[in-house]
Amino acid sequence: MKRPVRLEPGQKLVLTANRLLDGRTVWWGADGTWDSHIGRAAILDADEAEVALLRATEQAQRDGVVGVYDTAVQDVVPPEPVTVREKIRAHGPTVHPEFAVETEQ
Amino acid sequence: MSIPVGHYQYDRIDRDFLQARIAEFEGQVNRRLDGTLSEDEFKPLRLMNGLYLQLHAYMLRVAIPYGILDSRQLRKLGEIARRYDRDYGHFTTRQNIQFNWIRLEDTPAILRELAEVDMHAIQTSGNCIRNVTADEYAGAAADELVDPRVHAEILRQWSTLHPEFTFLPRKFKIAISGSPNDRVAARFHDIGILARPGEAGAPVFRIFVGGGLGRTPVIGEELFDSVREEHLLATLEAILRVYNAHGRRDNIYKARIKILVQAIGVEAYREAVEAELAQMDLERYRLTPEAVAAIRARFAVPLLEAPADADAVLAQQRRDDPLFDRWVRSNTHVHRDPGHIIATISLKPGGGIPGDATSAQIARLADLADAYSFGEIRITHLQNVVLGHVRKDRLRDLWLGLAEVGLAEANIGLIGDIVACPGLDYCALANARSIPIAQKLGARFADTALQAEIGALRINISGCINACGHHHAGHIGLLGVDKRGEEFFQLTVGGRAENGAAIGTILGAALPEDETVDAIARLVDCYLGRRESGETFLDTLTRLGHEPFREAAYETV
Amino acid sequence: MRLFELGERSAQVHDVLVTLAELAERDDARAVLLESADDPALLKPYLNRLDLVVLRFPVFRDGRGFTQARELREYLRFSGEIRAEGHILPDQAAFLRRCGVDSVVLPKDGNGDPALWEKQLRQFPVAYQRSVLPERSVGPGLRVEEAS
Ligand code: HEM
Ligand code: SF4
Repeated sequence: MKRPVRLEPGQKLVLTANRLLDGRTVWWGADGTWDSHIGRAAILDADEAEVALLRATEQAQRDGVVGVYDTAVQDVVPPEPVTVREKIRAHGPTVHPEFAVETEQ
Repeated sequence: MSIPVGHYQYDRIDRDFLQARIAEFEGQVNRRLDGTLSEDEFKPLRLMNGLYLQLHAYMLRVAIPYGILDSRQLRKLGEIARRYDRDYGHFTTRQNIQFNWIRLEDTPAILRELAEVDMHAIQTSGNCIRNVTADEYAGAAADELVDPRVHAEILRQWSTLHPEFTFLPRKFKIAISGSPNDRVAARFHDIGILARPGEAGAPVFRIFVGGGLGRTPVIGEELFDSVREEHLLATLEAILRVYNAHGRRDNIYKARIKILVQAIGVEAYREAVEAELAQMDLERYRLTPEAVAAIRARFAVPLLEAPADADAVLAQQRRDDPLFDRWVRSNTHVHRDPGHIIATISLKPGGGIPGDATSAQIARLADLADAYSFGEIRITHLQNVVLGHVRKDRLRDLWLGLAEVGLAEANIGLIGDIVACPGLDYCALANARSIPIAQKLGARFADTALQAEIGALRINISGCINACGHHHAGHIGLLGVDKRGEEFFQLTVGGRAENGAAIGTILGAALPEDETVDAIARLVDCYLGRRESGETFLDTLTRLGHEPFREAAYETV
Repeated sequence: MRLFELGERSAQVHDVLVTLAELAERDDARAVLLESADDPALLKPYLNRLDLVVLRFPVFRDGRGFTQARELREYLRFSGEIRAEGHILPDQAAFLRRCGVDSVVLPKDGNGDPALWEKQLRQFPVAYQRSVLPERSVGPGLRVEEAS
């Protein structure tokens, strides 16, 4: 079921999922590939996101990802998710700063 | 290899079965990867083998049946943490261990390693009969009437890949205890079983049904007072058959057996179960004394020998060392043998993550278990570790060994012994983070002298209404809620899981995360200021009612 | 429709398959379709003339069919064919067989590969609980294997 997207001013959308093989959080890039760094995510407006979401969902099995959905971000560089949940997905568990996604290769 | 103390020893048949289960799972993974199985089809199948997909990675929940392991198994868990995870594991309130950073592609290899030490992840999740839990002091406590482990093992075996009950409306949890002091939260389980001695040596079972936490907390009701051993499995089959046929499947929040029991009433449920029993071929389901004896024979009994002065040595050491004495007071329990004692090792260091243990700590616990407790380790439903049979005169050496790896915290049953679920740091269903608030509370009350002064007080924290942290059953409970993307906590007081089980009462509107710790500190101050001598937090709460506590919590808000 | 036989009983083909509600009016019906919410006990008056009971699984996670099959075998002593159809997975082959189901209508997708069903039937040499099949003990304790 698709929720209507209500974006505040200054917000855009990114697509996210988990990788099938290792479960890691991934973000959809402009070239259609998935990357674990939100900094490489394509920043989309609502219409672009709708098209991209359809395509990415269709190709999920081939791309080796599960559970594709869109989520709101602050339109800054790198994009920063709006909700606590997505911040934690983007950056790693807050209780283990040593596992921050940013510091991974 | 000698038979382990405390849990069932596998034989070749059991080991072949595990290998078959791993091969089956590996096939399922391959079918998922090649697309034959959709994610919707694969998910229930992987859950049935303990594999979740969380926020950052897969999580594997490994079964620790009735919470008991031997040192070889514990060492293996440490190795798995090191090789396949990020060097730590998380012990849960259902006496299992979870690894948080697992890769799907590694799971068959991990399962093979687990099988080397007779371990598995079977039915640690999914809508099936889950890992059976039991009293963490089983076979050791002085107050025990019946050692529940043999029957817990029988239930584990009977429920393993049960052909009829593997696709139930919802998960199904069974706990069993043989002590008049309920240490398994029997009445918060789908089925809670209390064993007591019957005639001619065989136990009889009191059976509660329809308890549970989650969105709708319910205290289980007594279904039968005295089920004979030979009819134990028949009775459970009948209870589950009624549930499988009639439990709701249209709404996952109404699918647990508790909702069915509430809807039709426990009398009607009992009649339905009796109607099943009347039609069943009871001979086919009979649990024979021979089968029980055969399973019992695969448990080793510890040879409890202690010097005559063991008790005196311990008493002297306690007088000499007040720090040790404090630990003994909070972290031990009376053993049935006067020369021995039960030691509980806290996995709740002040400011730490409740239930987490590093692979180094896990390895050390295994060594200490070998040295002090017949190589046997128990995981408690409060996320701690128990060494069940420690000689009194050697207790201090154990304590010193624990201190070397930061495991000598003297806070069992005290305010620092916080139960918390993984919460939003890991869990895909969470509304709020549970661990940071547990850490802040742990740090606030880190002083063990203060903790001893406050006395018995349990804090339980859940990151969402699913209640994995048992917040309804906490003397003080915290439930994480999401208010427009921000973390808030709802406070409850007066819950308890022990004898006289009760569901906590909500104090008032949820508090912002950054005000929660102060509010709890004021609650505790209110109790300290108004308690009469000898009163615990719950006693004072019962005497005064909620109002003074509500006022204290919301004082400055 | 491709059938797969889980056991020795060979699958039968029926022209007339009726619902539980229709059964009373159709004296000629020898086969009935049970939805997962249907109570098998209602078949009691018709058991003598029924050759086949088809259990429909709306989704493989809905396990009511397993209990229906056992009730048919254990309580009603139904000795005709029980068949499962709908959304079922090869991973359920042995469970179905142990609950008394004789045959399945193979799914049309990749899960309908008979080799997968065959393999799963043979996956486990023993079981830890009694089923409706004739069984004998293996080793001490609860373990059983099929008595062939
Ligand atoms: C991290 C991933 C986890 C997920 C996705 C998860 C999911 C759930 C869900 C959905 C429920 C509610 C079920 C219902 O009431 O129908 C639940 C309840 C429960 N979970 Fe978890 N859980 C997780 C971790 C844990 C942990 C770490 C523990 C132990 C510390 C745990 C122990 C429990 C218990 C004891 C219940 C409670 C109540 C009951 O059975 O009525 N879970 N869990
Ligand atoms: S209570 Fe909620 S947040 Fe905590 S582990 Fe359970 S499902 Fe996750």
